[in-house]
Amino acid sequence: MKYLILTLCFFSINLTISQDLLLEAESFDDKGGWVVDPQFIEQMGSSYLQAHGMGEPVQNAQTQVNFKKNGEYKVWVRTKNWVPGEWEAPGKFQIKVNSLVLENTLGLRSGWGWEYAGAVQITNKKNTLELVDLTGFNGRCDAIYFTTSDVEPPSSMNKLATWRKTVVMEPLAPKVTKKYDLVVVGGGIAGCAAAIAAAEQGLQVALIHDRPVLGGNASSEIRVHTLGIYGNFERILKKLDTEHYPNGSPEAHKDQIKRDNNVKSYDNISLYLNWRAYDAKAVESKISYVDARQTASGERIRFEAPLFVDSTGDGWIGFWAGAKFSYGRESVDQYGEEWKEHGELWSPKQPDNAVMGSSVLWRSYEADQLEEFPEVPWAMPVARDYAKVKGEWQWEFSRNDLNQIDDAEEIRDHMLRAIYGSFGNAKKLPENANRKLEWVSYLVGKRESRRLVGDYIFTLNDAKSGRSFPDGVVEETREVDVHYQTVLEDEKNPDFISEALFYKTPKYYIPYRSLYSKNISNLFMAGRNFSTSHVGLGGPRVMRTTGQMGAAVGFAASLCKKYDVNPRDIYTGYLDEYMDLIEKQKYIPIPESKK
Amino acid sequence: MKIIIATLLFCGLGLVWTQKTDVTLNGVSQHKTLSKKPEFFALEWQEGLVLKNKPTPYFIEVETLGNQNVDILVTAQNRPVLYTVDICTPVCADGECRLMYLTLYWNLLGAYAGYDKVEGQTLTKHDHEEFLEQDYEKLHHLLMDDNSILKRKKIDELVEKPEDSELDGADAKAGATITEVKESVVDGALYSCYVAWNIAHGTIKGELQDYTTSNFDKEMKGYMLMSNEQDYQMYALKSLNDEEYIDYEDRIVQIFNKGIPLVRTYIVQNLPKLFWETEDLQMPFWESFAAVDINNRSLLLNHIQQAPVEVLVLLGGNLELMTKNQLKAYLAAIEKNEMANPQINAQLLRFTNSGNHTYAYIVAEFLEEFE
Ligand SMILES: Cc1cc2nc3c(=O)[nH]c(=O)nc-3n(C[C@H](O)[C@H](O)[C@H](O)COP(=O)(O)OP(=O)(O)OC[C@H]3O[C@@H](n4cnc5c(N)ncnc54)[C@H](O)[C@@H]3O)c2cc1C
Repeated sequence: MKYLILTLCFFSINLTISQDLLLEAESFDDKGGWVVDPQFIEQMGSSYLQAHGMGEPVQNAQTQVNFKKNGEYKVWVRTKNWVPGEWEAPGKFQIKVNSLVLENTLGLRSGWGWEYAGAVQITNKKNTLELVDLTGFNGRCDAIYFTTSDVEPPSSMNKLATWRKTVVMEPLAPKVTKKYDLVVVGGGIAGCAAAIAAAEQGLQVALIHDRPVLGGNASSEIRVHTLGIYGNFERILKKLDTEHYPNGSPEAHKDQIKRDNNVKSYDNISLYLNWRAYDAKAVESKISYVDARQTASGERIRFEAPLFVDSTGDGWIGFWAGAKFSYGRESVDQYGEEWKEHGELWSPKQPDNAVMGSSVLWRSYEADQLEEFPEVPWAMPVARDYAKVKGEWQWEFSRNDLNQIDDAEEIRDHMLRAIYGSFGNAKKLPENANRKLEWVSYLVGKRESRRLVGDYIFTLNDAKSGRSFPDGVVEETREVDVHYQTVLEDEKNPDFISEALFYKTPKYYIPYRSLYSKNISNLFMAGRNFSTSHVGLGGPRVMRTTGQMGAAVGFAASLCKKYDVNPRDIYTGYLDEYMDLIEKQKYIPIPESKK
Repeated sequence: MKIIIATLLFCGLGLVWTQKTDVTLNGVSQHKTLSKKPEFFALEWQEGLVLKNKPTPYFIEVETLGNQNVDILVTAQNRPVLYTVDICTPVCADGECRLMYLTLYWNLLGAYAGYDKVEGQTLTKHDHEEFLEQDYEKLHHLLMDDNSILKRKKIDELVEKPEDSELDGADAKAGATITEVKESVVDGALYSCYVAWNIAHGTIKGELQDYTTSNFDKEMKGYMLMSNEQDYQMYALKSLNDEEYIDYEDRIVQIFNKGIPLVRTYIVQNLPKLFWETEDLQMPFWESFAAVDINNRSLLLNHIQQAPVEVLVLLGGNLELMTKNQLKAYLAAIEKNEMANPQINAQLLRFTNSGNHTYAYIVAEFLEEFE
């Protein structure tokens, strides 16, 4: 585990020297029942540990801490009450140092910041520190700060970032640099397919993914099944996709093993699981590196490559590098995407920032005996009288004051309240006396956020008309479906339930030009952050289609390497060869032994 | 127009009529009247209303049974209110066909409005059992759903075994959606439901709306704007020019207050620029801040940077209604120059000191930084 001992000087009348020690919770040696949550680093500053016990307190997280000096230390904990209000905070916990539980209960303050846990007398070098969960309802701990001074660490985000840097004394750049032919960031189905396609063509590929398992929304952590057709890439996509089980099903585990093993079987894919990219630097519109951090240890690596794929879903690499992107709904006239029957729900007269929402899937089961579920008053303002024992795709939340990236934690938390409240309501019914929560994801599954702008912007009209393109590398037959929140039609509806509008289309195609950035010369994008309008995304956002995008850019990358050119040059100068390569993927190659 | 009723595919050689077929399908309907609320009806009905039938150029073609004319129902003053058709259509399953009789109603925009049973004719299920009262209700409910699962599926897809079918919706799974079908159709009467839904929501919808559009005048605009039907409100709003927005301001504010979020959104997003430049014109919308939903509060707040100081003072009394980001938008607006305003300052202090507001800390931090 990682921790830092610092000696900071505070100048007062007398020069005093204080001892300080900052522990990042996510780097605890033994996380017990707590989980590492790296989803909101850009918003709240760090990975954190979360007590996701579905109402039952989780096992203590534990770590060893070495102190240089004995003495009395004040202990501060960076945390927040995730549902402040006129009820007891849902996620409460305590700190235990050696055998002493510190006096203050934590998880009580509104907004991320420091809470005072108490003082502790350190008498030995080696000490044990524990996080003691009290509720099982998503208490969260970002960091613990021991100090002999009386100064409270800063809470406001700006000051905190500077403070962290001084405390940790981290150099600006990562010490380690690694070089690859292609760096793929985001290991959803799109990113995995890109890595495989490029690796099969002999490229050295780094695949950086912030979770322990691959697949993004299709992973066993989120459990959405893959839809769409294989297009030209059946062989590759079958290594990655899922069976057609209900969303949320534990059957996802089987496909998880298949997917992880398949990706790991490529020697030239360097897989960085639990690594999250946090920056990308472009010089003269060309990305020179991506920096990433291990989500638990905090270790950092700089990744250099001539080519990058942004398959983060949120378009992070493009965003950091300064790529053009869009967010929200275009006006109906911008691309002529009207569907008269559904009017403003489908595409508005004025552009706005509404997007399809994010979901948290969950399920429960019938236990053999009576099962209790605690009262959850903090969840009721969201759930109201909604009573359910499982959630499917319609459990979705989007609201126009919330950005699907910047406010993702609030969105996830809103869904947790919806789930616990609705389950709590259902539990009050006699038929659910034996019901027990089996699984609630703590990862928010997103559908739409930033869409990076490419040389071509795919729209509904391309799908409606089945337009073919000389560079049509992805194909799909699935309807275009766009979601809206049912509360827009009736305020009595829960605000976390959506409805889908389906537009039937013929078979349609996505051109390669929608898969690389318009203004960042060496950036590909694959997945839901490809170049499309809001309505255009309605069809191809599903994961076999996004997988096709990934495979298509992986193959394009191999030609970029072969000719030492950028993604756009493949379209302008090497299209025939590229399309031949794509076409060839339809056929299973004859093994050497059979030739 | 022509409706292809998919169920006819199922009437093969074994086609048997199990009901009498000697009905008049193209009977002259001009002298018919409607003087009571249809038995199953989705709109408001004014007591005492008497509507008389007048022909339209439209009809529904039912294969083998010919055209069935669609009428418009008008008031004594000749004001259009509804469209209607007396429909008689075969419903076939497993080679056996029966006739289904219904009087269907659409509103002026072609949206399903309701239905009446035809005298002497009951609806029956596949096993010849008659519809119960709750079955008629359920059919009405189904017909009200313009986004029903029936819309996207051919009848044979609906009766397939779940594991073979492609019933999944956006994100859903076959089995689950089968349940959705079951939940929405009358048990044992999938075919009748399917046929009825496809007639009610067929191409006739668009044709009737076009017909209304071609006869749309100021009177109808006023009627729709005054109506409580959200699609009428929306349609009328979409037809307004800038001057009419001003003429109708009172009503528009009323709709903004009481309407559904979707219509409110249309209003706040499409108000002519002049409103945001004129204090008197915009004030009533800001005064609705507390009455409207969260989404629309945000859309109002998009205009806060240009709003007059009265608005900032008014909203100062509504801080507890704001979400985190709304509060931030408000604070950003007052940061510029309104911090000196004692009324606003007092509101900020009241809010931070009250001790029970979730986002009080945001205002507290703001005040701290400001000092
Ligand atoms: C509830 C729900 C139901 C859905 N139903 C279906 C369905 O039935 N079938 C279907 O095919 N699709 C469905 N979709 C849509 C589909 O899952 C999404 O569009 C999906 O996001 C597309 O895959 P992707 O690879 O683009 O992104 P993702 O699956 O989101 O993968 C991107 C991955 O990148 C990782 N990442 C992000 N930022 C970084 C970073 N900075 N560093 C490292 N890693 C990073 C993320 O953790 C994520 O795992 C559904 C979506 C939801 C939410």
